[in-house]
Amino acid sequence: MDLALLTEARMRGRIEDVVARSRRRACRLVPLLATLLAAACGRDAGAPRAGGTVIIGMRADFGGFNPITNTDQYTDEIIKYALFTPLVQYDENLEVRPYLAESWELLGDTGVVFRLRRDVRWHDGRPVTAQDVKFTFDLAKDPATASLIGSAYITEVARAEVVDSYTVRFDFVRPHAQALEDFWWAPAPRHLLENVPPADLRNAPFNRAPVGSGPYRFVEWRANDRLVLERNPDFPEALGGPPALERLVFRVVPEPATLLTELLTGGLHVDIPVVPDQAARIESDPNLELFSFPSRTVYFIGWNTRREPFTDARVRRAMTLAIDRQEIIAALLEGYGRPAVSTIPPWSPLYPEGVQPLPYAPQWAAQLLDSAGWTDRNGDGIRENAAGRPLRFTLLSSDAPLNRNVVSVVQGHLRAVGVDAQVRALEFQTLLTQHRARDFDAVLSNWVLDNFQVASAPAALFHSRWADVPRSANRSSFANPRADSLIEAGAAETDPERARRIWAEFTELLNQEQPFTFMFWLDELAGASRSVRGVVMDPRGEFVSIANWSLGGPPAANGR
Amino acid sequence: MGTYLLKRLLGAIPLLLGVATLIFFVLNLAPGDPTARFYSPAASPEVIEQLRRTYGLDQPIIVRYLAWLRAFVTGDFGSSLAQGRPVIDIILDALPNTILLTGTSLVLVFLLGVAIGAYQAVRQHRWADRVLSVVGLFFYSMPSFWLGLMLMLLFAYQAYQWNWPIALPPTGMTSIDYDFLSPAGKILDRIRHMILPVTTLTLVLAAGIARYTRGQMLEVIRQDYIRTARAKGLPERTVILKHALRNSLIPVITLLGLYLPFLFSGTVFVGTIFAWPGMGREIVNAIAQRDYPLVMATTFLFALLVVLGSLIADVLYAVADPRIRYD
Repeated sequence: MDLALLTEARMRGRIEDVVARSRRRACRLVPLLATLLAAACGRDAGAPRAGGTVIIGMRADFGGFNPITNTDQYTDEIIKYALFTPLVQYDENLEVRPYLAESWELLGDTGVVFRLRRDVRWHDGRPVTAQDVKFTFDLAKDPATASLIGSAYITEVARAEVVDSYTVRFDFVRPHAQALEDFWWAPAPRHLLENVPPADLRNAPFNRAPVGSGPYRFVEWRANDRLVLERNPDFPEALGGPPALERLVFRVVPEPATLLTELLTGGLHVDIPVVPDQAARIESDPNLELFSFPSRTVYFIGWNTRREPFTDARVRRAMTLAIDRQEIIAALLEGYGRPAVSTIPPWSPLYPEGVQPLPYAPQWAAQLLDSAGWTDRNGDGIRENAAGRPLRFTLLSSDAPLNRNVVSVVQGHLRAVGVDAQVRALEFQTLLTQHRARDFDAVLSNWVLDNFQVASAPAALFHSRWADVPRSANRSSFANPRADSLIEAGAAETDPERARRIWAEFTELLNQEQPFTFMFWLDELAGASRSVRGVVMDPRGEFVSIANWSLGGPPAANGR
Repeated sequence: MGTYLLKRLLGAIPLLLGVATLIFFVLNLAPGDPTARFYSPAASPEVIEQLRRTYGLDQPIIVRYLAWLRAFVTGDFGSSLAQGRPVIDIILDALPNTILLTGTSLVLVFLLGVAIGAYQAVRQHRWADRVLSVVGLFFYSMPSFWLGLMLMLLFAYQAYQWNWPIALPPTGMTSIDYDFLSPAGKILDRIRHMILPVTTLTLVLAAGIARYTRGQMLEVIRQDYIRTARAKGLPERTVILKHALRNSLIPVITLLGLYLPFLFSGTVFVGTIFAWPGMGREIVNAIAQRDYPLVMATTFLFALLVVLGSLIADVLYAVADPRIRYD
């Protein structure tokens, strides 16, 4: 095999990005790519151009593309930003803006009427109507579908009513905060799904070959290998029009090191997600850009408030004071994280400004433990209570590398104030079983917000009505009457200013009670080739601007 | 021979059923919950309960076992909980890819292993033998996932950085533009994608076969009939290839059956590292998600292939050695 043929084979496997990089050589050597290269070689470098394929590498495969039954985060983004059209979207300030619904009218705080656009069509040509919206709503409400929309978005919405083909009215159960945000979900096509029994919706063939209504159309999905989407030429101009890209290809590459290799060698344009210790490698490559943005994931240590010694709020508070969370962010996350004080993320409009996390103050922790009756009575470096019981407990974590590292560091911090934390890493499913059964002393865990209705998380985690329910999320069995009333007041408050004050008060209470030690908000990381233009990544997700992505020529060396 | 095969096949049925039953109970008694993939802060306990009812997970384990057994013996593997499609479809997607990978590797493992082992035996104690022994031991003791990453570092990443003409694609089975390639281009593209995973699987296992073949050959070469063959003036080539090698291969063939499990576990690592969309990946994902129907079907299939593999080895044994008769 001669050199030219080998080079040709090599070039063939690569994508335009690489082709562009070694453009001059390639232009001489690769006649078969002539048509592709004609564009790349002859064009003014840097100008975005229409057409082209962007390849995105991801660690795990998608779930099914059914807006009603999906529970996977990345699949949700593809549903909302690429394949389907939600009633409303968020803008960059996380304010609700019209999308499929071109306008709405709030009926006081008892309901809302949406008027739908008339130019949005299913990819098979039928119009998207109010019937589809009501159909989706009713199915999501049906317990048989076990829908995330039903359990997370529309719990405060009682019913949907079709006023006319393009007008739909919803009635609320009660006045509640962030009411418009209940409708950040995409309708599914009634004409294709109405014959599927609700309990079988999760296994419907539709989910693996969806007919959507968004800027991209479904082409092909090979499980654990690739998903291919193409531009929808009929997407309405008012919603941004047809995308510039001809195709999107999502490839599944489970191993992070391999995924990075593909990005560095030009086999991919976009790598999602990047692990923190790969960030520097991407930043140092002039052809690549690192994206970091605040995520919806908060890490915390949950204390079992029904077990000694964590029945005592002073002990829980001492644990938090003794753990240097800033050091963990700097050392284990390479700085890609921010301190946490509650489940309300720093970027949320409801974030209680001014409420600081408890500081790192080991001497205060020691004083608190002294006053709670835990002192080192036998000189072995570990504190004991009056009965001689040592301050020793088991700290569980999953076997994910980050989680294991975090608990090891925490163990060291606690040892310095005379607390003996025995760390144990368990496989995720085993950990979850123990956590749900309340069979633990302390667990490093995390919490991912499903949407931006941040007011719903505290209820699930900290309301006393869930304290003893087996599969509920209040696994620390936290029960505090004042917390309950603040949670209820916050969820019902429709005025943002008053809501912020309630959540500030609630956060102060958490600071005192510390059912959790909040560790950090994780920053999401992604890497992308600079040839992909129009990429925006923020708390709304990696794919929020995917309809606006385009391919440009390679950036000039000084063009950064 | 026919009767023997029939007996062996019938004997395999209770064995496989036992294996499947064991897997069922181990899997279902292990902590975990398939609905955990719907583990979401906002999912209320009622929703989780509803899902468990939908999947029949609220039933006692013995009821679930009988239901599973009834479906299983009629060839119904059920639907994957995680992927929401029939398990048989998933297997039909993944199995050909796995067979392509393991089949190619198995052939190469034996060709390479036997060739190197025989060469070493003939060159015993010369430097070529010593070098090959050290190299063989090096690969034999290497974990396949590490070898895979190192090969990728060198032949995918560095080769690309240094502009070598042989930079190989690190992942997948085909390029993105595969559908637009000429027929010859398609074959070339597939081969290029197979080189790294196949090399990883082959090097580790071939090293073992080479050592075994070498030992066998050395033993056979000392036999009287080899001396007789040489004494009657046969060329050395005929002596080695026809008399010595053929006889030393008989025990090596038995290894074929024993190597299948290694090969399959190897595809689990290789499938993850090189993103090869085969059975290995499905098993890893299915276990992590407690996707019971998929775990049952895939592990059962591997057990079946191992049983069939050892049966084939026994048949080949008879082919290679005319003295062996199964009556």
